[in-house]
Amino acid sequence: MRGSPYIAADGVSVTFWSANRAPVAALADFDLRVARGQFVSLVGPSGCGKSTFLNVVLGLQRADAGEVRIDGRRVDGPAPDRAMVFQEFGLLPWRTAEANVELGLELRGMASAERRRRATELIQLVGLTGFERHYPHELSGGMKQRVGLARALATNPEILLMDEPFAALDAQTRDLMQAELLAVWERTRKTVLFVTHSIEEAAYLSDRVIVLSARPGRSKAEIDVRLPRPRDYEMRLSPEFNELKLAIWNALKEELKAGA
Amino acid sequence: MKPWRRLALGTLSVVTFVVTWEVVLALVRWDPFFMTTPSHIGTALREQLLGGRLWRDIGVSAEAFVVGLGLAVVVGIPIGLVMGWRRRAAFALDPLLTALYASPLIALAPLIIITAGVGLGARALLVFLLAVFPFVFNTFAGVRCTDPLLVNVVRSFGGTDRDLYVKVILPSVVPYVVAAARLAIGRGLIGILVGEFYAASEGLGFAISRFGDTYRLPEMFAGIVVLAVVAVGLTSGVRRIEASVAPWRAGRR
Repeated sequence: MRGSPYIAADGVSVTFWSANRAPVAALADFDLRVARGQFVSLVGPSGCGKSTFLNVVLGLQRADAGEVRIDGRRVDGPAPDRAMVFQEFGLLPWRTAEANVELGLELRGMASAERRRRATELIQLVGLTGFERHYPHELSGGMKQRVGLARALATNPEILLMDEPFAALDAQTRDLMQAELLAVWERTRKTVLFVTHSIEEAAYLSDRVIVLSARPGRSKAEIDVRLPRPRDYEMRLSPEFNELKLAIWNALKEELKAGA
Repeated sequence: MKPWRRLALGTLSVVTFVVTWEVVLALVRWDPFFMTTPSHIGTALREQLLGGRLWRDIGVSAEAFVVGLGLAVVVGIPIGLVMGWRRRAAFALDPLLTALYASPLIALAPLIIITAGVGLGARALLVFLLAVFPFVFNTFAGVRCTDPLLVNVVRSFGGTDRDLYVKVILPSVVPYVVAAARLAIGRGLIGILVGEFYAASEGLGFAISRFGDTYRLPEMFAGIVVLAVVAVGLTSGVRRIEASVAPWRAGRR
């Protein structure tokens, strides 16, 4: 990679210690380089530490060895340059869509009028205008995740961390949300680390797909996605797309056997 | 379901119960010494309310109930919060409080009356003792059941401990406190009655027990009806409070 990478993970290892059980090594000696504005997906068998890695980058999980640097600065806790979109949405049930979008801004001390203005903007960006005053239980899964995405984008992070954000959605909603995420990404050009179990999703969204080994997760293969952007749904029916999926699958399948 | 249908169905069961009672007693021979009818109770209730004595009894009981329940809220919720936040507090207090909760505190009524007399204080204390535990344990459970995902969300945006308490833990606890209030109201009413059964010269419990002792069944039942109405009123009041402080739960029933 040319120049110094935006995100640089070196030898990141995380081991979970629990009482009464043998320690579990989730990540071992994991390296990753990501350039600014890149969309990178992490795929791998369950339990290979993909989500753990996101938490390390986010600053919620400490690495037992190794380090993550962002723009040259070592990560040692959450900071405004990173925001996470969570698999189970993580919306506060007692807050309306709007107030959920404002959460990050509020925690970072933004004044209330400013917050409201910013939230309105983001709600429009994710296509939720008209649902500002709805509580999460009044929203569909797809809408909840739009709120989750708007909340993460509201703080205007440089890096968007997405931990299987569409895994809890049905197949059609998922296709729709992928297309909308691409549209939002085209407009904002954040650096994205995207964890998924879906080869198709990784291939469709990313610039690069990193395949992780079975636990403890190591970087096993890297596949560059050379499909042009902006991408559309039809592209998924092309021979190139299928070759790409096959390449990811081939890298992944031994690991799946090892992990199963 | 629409609110009026809910009300209609609820009323229907009450009316059916009262009418069945009236009709059955109209068809069989019964001894007024042991039994009475809703129409007799109605008459007694009206006389009592017009005569004014019943209002005084209600007022006396209400005072002890409100003081006792208020204390239970003010003391119970903070204890529950501290137990939820500090593991040491939980380990220290849980066995003692569980033992007290599980044992029939009503048994202490004579002791409380001997030591604290028959005034407002003793009866409020009895209400408090019965009503405080639901608040303690539900608040405790509410803190413990806080969704760890939401904790991570707040942390991920740089939230402090204080942010966690205010923005996540306290709102999570609200439904648990509401459920506690429902339990506490029932237990508090028992506290009032028992206190006044044992030793009092006024109050609803005293009226019920005095009329019972003198076999004035319609008057006795009039007191019980008042109690039932109060219980229903308080419970639906709690539901309203929940709808206004926790609107996100309103759609879930």
